[in-house]
Amino acid sequence: MTRFNIRPYLFIAPALIYLGVWIFYPILNALALSFFDSPTGRSRDYFWVGLNNYAKLLGDDLFLKSLYHNIIWVLLSIAIPVVLGLLLAALLAGRGRSRLVYASVYFIPHTVAAVCAAIVWRWIYDPSIGPLNWLLETIGLEGRPWLADESIVLIAVNMIGSWSYFGFCVLIFMAGLQNISPELYDAAMIDGAGALQRFFYVTIPLLRNAIVFVLVYTIIGSMKFFDLIFVATNGGPNEASTVVGLRIYWHSMREGRFNYAATMSTILTVVILVLSVVVIRQIVTEDEGD
Amino acid sequence: MSSARGSRKKRSWHSKRLMQSAVIHAILLLFALIALFPVYLMFNAALKTSAELFQSFLALPQDPQWKNFGFILNEQGYKGALYNSMVLSTSTMILTTVIAVLAGYGFAVYRFAGKQWLFLLVLTGLMVSETSVLIPVYQLLQDLGLLNTFAGMILPQAALGMTFGVFLMTTFFKDIPRALIDAAVVDGGSDLQVLRHVVMPLARPAIMSLALIEFMWAWNSFFFPLVIATKQWLMPMSVRIIDFMGRFTFKYDMIATTTVILFTPILILYLVTQRSFHRGITFGALKD
Repeated sequence: MTRFNIRPYLFIAPALIYLGVWIFYPILNALALSFFDSPTGRSRDYFWVGLNNYAKLLGDDLFLKSLYHNIIWVLLSIAIPVVLGLLLAALLAGRGRSRLVYASVYFIPHTVAAVCAAIVWRWIYDPSIGPLNWLLETIGLEGRPWLADESIVLIAVNMIGSWSYFGFCVLIFMAGLQNISPELYDAAMIDGAGALQRFFYVTIPLLRNAIVFVLVYTIIGSMKFFDLIFVATNGGPNEASTVVGLRIYWHSMREGRFNYAATMSTILTVVILVLSVVVIRQIVTEDEGD
Repeated sequence: MSSARGSRKKRSWHSKRLMQSAVIHAILLLFALIALFPVYLMFNAALKTSAELFQSFLALPQDPQWKNFGFILNEQGYKGALYNSMVLSTSTMILTTVIAVLAGYGFAVYRFAGKQWLFLLVLTGLMVSETSVLIPVYQLLQDLGLLNTFAGMILPQAALGMTFGVFLMTTFFKDIPRALIDAAVVDGGSDLQVLRHVVMPLARPAIMSLALIEFMWAWNSFFFPLVIATKQWLMPMSVRIIDFMGRFTFKYDMIATTTVILFTPILILYLVTQRSFHRGITFGALKD
């Protein structure tokens, strides 16, 4: 038996205390706040309301709509930047120095603050003077008021997110591909596998760790994002691009309904946790099945 | 000896390869253009006059308006916002990195009761967002009298990047050979000495990566500063831009100038330290 050693706890204590104060306590506090309400705005004369806030949320069409938009955002972010990142990384595999140059260029949008990205893309999408409609009209297609059209605004804003995210995915997948030995590809080629087969049967399975990481990271990022949509559309037009983050901000900072907003926060936390665990479990189970 | 038929076949195989390679290059280039185009637009717009912008977003400026930068920084008082951004990002970076290095060392080097659980607990912090903790954090800052202070912006911001930091440092420190650490301990080094003289030098690139990423996150951060810094003198660059936009919606050239001022320091930092950035971003994703 080794005797009790206090030192490791001293090393991790600052991090645990810090996260305790600014992350874990707030999470639990938000949960607690969700069972109370206060008579006026920001006052803290809380009274117990049980699940009343949750019942109200279920009847809040705008909240349900925002949650739905977040889910759509998760799917779009997987369908566009993640898949694109995977394809580009596969195309870059086996290249020399140019590979790193491309990866660096693709990553530059990720270093642009969401606030700046939203501003620049608002110009690109501008229906009267923006370059996108100009380009479309030049090649004979019809331009649209991208950010003012309820039916496409969410996809249009997601393109901004995809623009800033795909380079991040390329980088992760490219690093993952470096760990795959070229002999595997040679063996697959000798067995007569075409490029597509090699991609699906060699690349994808061997990139599993990187894929899990990117999927979980994408889900978390897509559920909690705020800056981009706040600046690009602020949820409009007619709330067609509103998301949970915006609702929380609106109800708390603008209306002062802290308990109601805290209830949304709690639901958001639970949804993120559940989705992440589902993805991780799904892929870990597959692993055991091999 | 190859027959005529054979060489024709070979040639068609070659041209097929050539085609394929041309298509791949075209795709790679296309996405490089897509990545860079908005950046071009940003810089381009910042150097034009409003009138020129409304004629065309795309054409290069005829007479680059460098004075836009002086106007924004001096006359509009954005020097202060730039200073605020610098204070916010530097403090957040130092706070996160120091605490993460200590915790990473603790998790990577020692064996102790409850280690797995505590590490898992820290990791759940990755799933937490600003919006999940907004209300309690806001009330806590209010109670501490920290709304509209630098500390009020920095403290919660540092927490957001800390989980990532602990995770990254733990993964890096685990790669340092145990024998090196043990040898130093046998030589009579205390824990902090071992950390400082053995582990830190080896982990310097990793710490550098973490510090850079944390700096970038804090520099680009928006949500907490928006909520906590409501007084103009305290607003960092990211929030001042929105403030400016609200008041001068159609001053596109000036808005562009503010975005360039926010973006340029990070762009330069990234271009100079790419490898470090890349290492930090990819490392965590690929270990176990």
